[in-house]
Amino acid sequence: MKILIADDSRVMRQIVIRTLRQAGYDDHDIVEAEDGADALAKAGSESPDLILSDWNMPNMSGIECLQALRAQGSSVPFGFVTSEGSAEMREKAANAGALFLIAKPFTADTFNEHLDGVIA
Amino acid sequence: MTATPDTGQRRRTSDSRPVITDLIDEDTILAVAGDAWISLVGEDEVLVPIPGDLPFDVVSSWVDVVGPWTGSVVLTTGRATAEALSRALLRESAPEVLEDEDVEDAFGEIANVVGGSIKAALPGPSALSLPQVGHAPLVRNPADVCRVEVLWRGEPLTLSVQGALPPLPVSH
Repeated sequence: MKILIADDSRVMRQIVIRTLRQAGYDDHDIVEAEDGADALAKAGSESPDLILSDWNMPNMSGIECLQALRAQGSSVPFGFVTSEGSAEMREKAANAGALFLIAKPFTADTFNEHLDGVIA
Repeated sequence: MTATPDTGQRRRTSDSRPVITDLIDEDTILAVAGDAWISLVGEDEVLVPIPGDLPFDVVSSWVDVVGPWTGSVVLTTGRATAEALSRALLRESAPEVLEDEDVEDAFGEIANVVGGSIKAALPGPSALSLPQVGHAPLVRNPADVCRVEVLWRGEPLTLSVQGALPPLPVSH
């Protein structure tokens, strides 16, 4: 399975990758994107099976990336990993077609709660 | 047409806005920061709520919250401590020599995570900025600040949730 991780923070991408491993999802191809625009491009060129995206990023936000993907007809599974954990943001994410929203700070258990059943 | 005298009441009512101590307290900041430390820095990493003297050479990271309450969530610590925090976040992927960019990224991301949790505890809707690193924003209204001082690995660090707006004029 190929997982695209979009976050403008390199260190946060490393932490997400590390937490995936700690949660037991350690046998997957990882592709990194440094903002929403990069994620949108790589969603096309890399054909990921799952996108884990930050919300607030320069150039293109995570929600704009998700909306662009859905507008293009893509149904790639998409979840947020973001510091934006309010009820309002969760509702926005769900309305745009996100499968889940993992709020930072997270643990390996949080990843298991949301990703079991999504990651084969 | 009869003019209604302006008593100032309507203006004062509409101008009223909460200060941060009406909305959160030090314990909330400590709890939020403690969770961020465990998640990002390490499971055994604790923040001890004991004040310490910051060194001369400090660096701050912060995010801005804009909404019913507008201000910044600011972390300030010594530059060496910010570097140690960055190494802790990067773990095995930390380079031998840290670039300024690595510290800005890691220390900024801690402010982002703490700030996001603080934002979720405040009345909304609010917007959260991207993190910034450098000299902390000035405190415009000393009454609109909630600040905690902690030690991490014995080194001092402050967390300040501070309003961006000056105090309202006092009505007489």
